[in-house]
Amino acid sequence: MSDSQAIELERLLADVLTDADPAQAVERALTDPNIAEETRAALESIDLDGLRVSALLVAKLRFERLLQGSARAGERFETDPRGFSAEFKRYHLEVPPRSSTPSEEARSFDFWRKAEQAN
Amino acid sequence: MTAIGFTLQPHLPTLELLAGLIEEEPDYYEVTPETLWRPGRDGAFEANGFHQRFLALRAHTGKPFVAHGVGFSVGSARPDSARRERWLGRMREDARAFEFGWYTEHHGVTVLDGRELILPLPVAMNDASVATVRASLACMQTCVPDVGLENSVFYFHLGEPLDEPAFFARVLDAPRTHLLLDLHNVYTTALNAGFEPWEYVQRLPLARVIEIHVSGGRDSDPRWLASGATRRLDSHDDSVPETVWHLLERVLPLCANVRGVTLERMEGTVEPDDVALVREELRRARRIAEKR
Repeated sequence: MSDSQAIELERLLADVLTDADPAQAVERALTDPNIAEETRAALESIDLDGLRVSALLVAKLRFERLLQGSARAGERFETDPRGFSAEFKRYHLEVPPRSSTPSEEARSFDFWRKAEQAN
Repeated sequence: MTAIGFTLQPHLPTLELLAGLIEEEPDYYEVTPETLWRPGRDGAFEANGFHQRFLALRAHTGKPFVAHGVGFSVGSARPDSARRERWLGRMREDARAFEFGWYTEHHGVTVLDGRELILPLPVAMNDASVATVRASLACMQTCVPDVGLENSVFYFHLGEPLDEPAFFARVLDAPRTHLLLDLHNVYTTALNAGFEPWEYVQRLPLARVIEIHVSGGRDSDPRWLASGATRRLDSHDDSVPETVWHLLERVLPLCANVRGVTLERMEGTVEPDDVALVREELRRARRIAEKR
């Protein structure tokens, strides 16, 4: 696998793992005739239940990172766990995870929330 | 004699609950460096309150520290150089302050296409990945001379999990590059993939093992998957299973260069009634090490 193919595989995995339905996202990726054969083989070999568990853990870890970085988010989760979880789910699907610390994640979430409320 | 270590979590209630055994039982401490940082005004990482607390523990006990990171993302095919330099800059400062004996990272990739997914994820086991991971270890060596890779748990694989030991042997052939053998991770991967843990262990370059991790874990919630199936998780939130103790007894005599066995336990997973159990786990690890 060349470096460019490795980069392509990483991009596809990131897309799949942050999708609302990771297994369907793999199916969609496999319909692209332009992906490299090694990349296609790697995607076809993925255990879909393992992929679903991984995607759930990615979301869970991001949720925990947010709560670590934002006391306000933690309070809102305590008060309304179902409502806050639904809000986080929207955030997770709409905003690519680019924060490398809890406080950065908290700022990203606040920014998204203000924009959502303004709309 | 092989030293016995304990992971320090940046979580006040856990540290206070375990304060007595933290002082008394381990020979060394392991920290995840990035949990001791916060972003500074200029974008660089700076030390947080737990950094200071753990430095004070080092000064008070005189016991050495080792570093075990999660987020460096050794397998990233195109790592962001600004992110890497920000990370390594802070690690160099911490290496001076803590004098880490060695610095290990989880195998895998946590930053994919610039997206921070936090969970270590698999890389394809090919020549390109060997070169990528070797280059990452060389970067880590600019902070601490002895560096290593831990066998992570992946819930899906890009290739056969039993090929991973050979991948590690290829990656870890440079001087002062080592393997952190996590036995609960072996157990978890074996359970999930359907093979015997020793099939994996016996294929490893055991002469490269610098440290062994032992810990416990749980199964995933059956509601996670529509089929109701579960997966064993690398959650570090329970006592060490007997299978893992047996693996330690069997593998330790074969690791000629091992320097430490570390008990891992995540923050928030220990109740007052568990303290005696955790202490006994450290003592059990020590009894096994003494027989080596």
